[in-house]
Amino acid sequence: MSLPSQNSDDGDDSSDSLVEHFFRHEHANLVSVLSRVFGLARLDLIEETVQSAMLQAMNTWKQRGLPKNPAGWIHRVARNRILDELRREEVFRRAMAEVAIPEEAPEQLVQRWLEGADLSDSLLRMIFVCCHPMLDRHSQIALALKVLCGFGVHEIARGLLLKPENVKKRIQRARKKLAEESIAIELPGPEELQVRLSAVHDALYLMFNEGYSTSRGADPIRDDLCEEAARLCHLLCASNVGNRTTFALLALMLFHGSRLESRTDAEGQVVLLEDQDRTRWDHDLISVADQWMQKAGLPESRFHLEAGIAMLHCHAPSIEETDWQSIIGLYDRLAEFNASPLYRLNRAIAIAQCGNESDAMRELILLDEGKEIDDSILLDCAIARVHQLSGDNSAATDRLLQALSRDVAEHERELIKRKLAVL
Amino acid sequence: MAKVLFVYREPPMDHAKVSPEQMQQMMQQWMTWIRGAMDAGWMVAAGDALQPEGKVVKGDSVITDGPFAESKELIGGYSVVEASDLDAASKLAAGCPAFEVGGSVEVRELMNVEIPE
Repeated sequence: MSLPSQNSDDGDDSSDSLVEHFFRHEHANLVSVLSRVFGLARLDLIEETVQSAMLQAMNTWKQRGLPKNPAGWIHRVARNRILDELRREEVFRRAMAEVAIPEEAPEQLVQRWLEGADLSDSLLRMIFVCCHPMLDRHSQIALALKVLCGFGVHEIARGLLLKPENVKKRIQRARKKLAEESIAIELPGPEELQVRLSAVHDALYLMFNEGYSTSRGADPIRDDLCEEAARLCHLLCASNVGNRTTFALLALMLFHGSRLESRTDAEGQVVLLEDQDRTRWDHDLISVADQWMQKAGLPESRFHLEAGIAMLHCHAPSIEETDWQSIIGLYDRLAEFNASPLYRLNRAIAIAQCGNESDAMRELILLDEGKEIDDSILLDCAIARVHQLSGDNSAATDRLLQALSRDVAEHERELIKRKLAVL
Repeated sequence: MAKVLFVYREPPMDHAKVSPEQMQQMMQQWMTWIRGAMDAGWMVAAGDALQPEGKVVKGDSVITDGPFAESKELIGGYSVVEASDLDAASKLAAGCPAFEVGGSVEVRELMNVEIPE
């Protein structure tokens, strides 16, 4: 995962390659700014226009090389195209009357809003639009991935493990709703900011988790989801909108992000925390995360607590030398926010790591009997691990074999086989 | 040395479906390939890509609009290369990104014959 940084609007100097995700991010920049100028009701036209400007860029540059300022080039083409398109509409005059600042020509407005602080401001507004509480959480994420991250429908479907038609429908429905309710592209006012911000946090957290969850095997697109969630979160942190909870959320994403690459081995198989090669963790990212953690201050949200746990893992030299006692304390406090069975599962593992395997096992059995964990492989691995820690390798083996006898996905089967091999 | 024209042919793509990330990948492949060929010296002109739209003019002055949807491949662009002969030029086309999308490269030697004194 690369460090999130501010978008620069002047691109890099003419070299023979573009910055990573240049097209995707410029797509997002343009759609956000053009929607802000011409209104969300024209989102379809805007997306078509940006798409064709991008195609033109690709075809012009592929043989002739890059222009001096690729971003400026695309912005100009897209801006001219949409104005041509709108002029063709009978309603052009009316459209212009609706433009937010009518005394400024739309050309200048597009130009100005695509630069520096104004660009960040446009993207921020769009974050709040995409995460509008009127939309359900899954639509928020699909829409954000399309509009704010520039992913195509098929890429989103791959990332979220959905059918493309399904993603398409979600996005269409979300757009229709935004248009029907005439949602304005603006930041929430001070009286509702905290509530709206908290909805944004939840959506970004879920977007990150969709990418991070190990239960789904490895696909590079899923790392991109994590990176995008962190990028958008960083945008909030760098503005005056983000608060200390936003900082904690970013720290959480960066701590987890530092381990992204070590979570799969050379064959693309999932590697769990206890088996990861810690020298492969991204220590630069960890120190950036530390800084955000400091800014986040005293724990006041679940993101603070989760980030605290992730931080303890990131700074531990090994599984054994991890500060499990503090981790248990943080899980206890997390339970006050949300009695999630996953927190209970992880807390049980921490308890076992502290040497109290029987308490840990009691808790895991409760979870097992209550059928509270959807991802049963996770529970199987946890129970096997606690057996193993208490020196009962045969019980651990039994549990893993039991897991194998169920209907499990291929990558999970691989994971369990590897666990069995070392027992 | 023979001067040879590369004509890149590619199946028409669904413009609405190509994602920005795919565009960047395709463009990057082309830029890398062209840059490599220019640096190696055998490509003498990078040439250009063609707009997908066009017209076909027939002898009876019937003009029809492209793009030519019925054809499996469209001319996407051209370059000029230099090689000892047609066979050598054909070998140079290996690695052209047109192949990645199921396209082909037409390799044609320019006439350019020296008139004997």
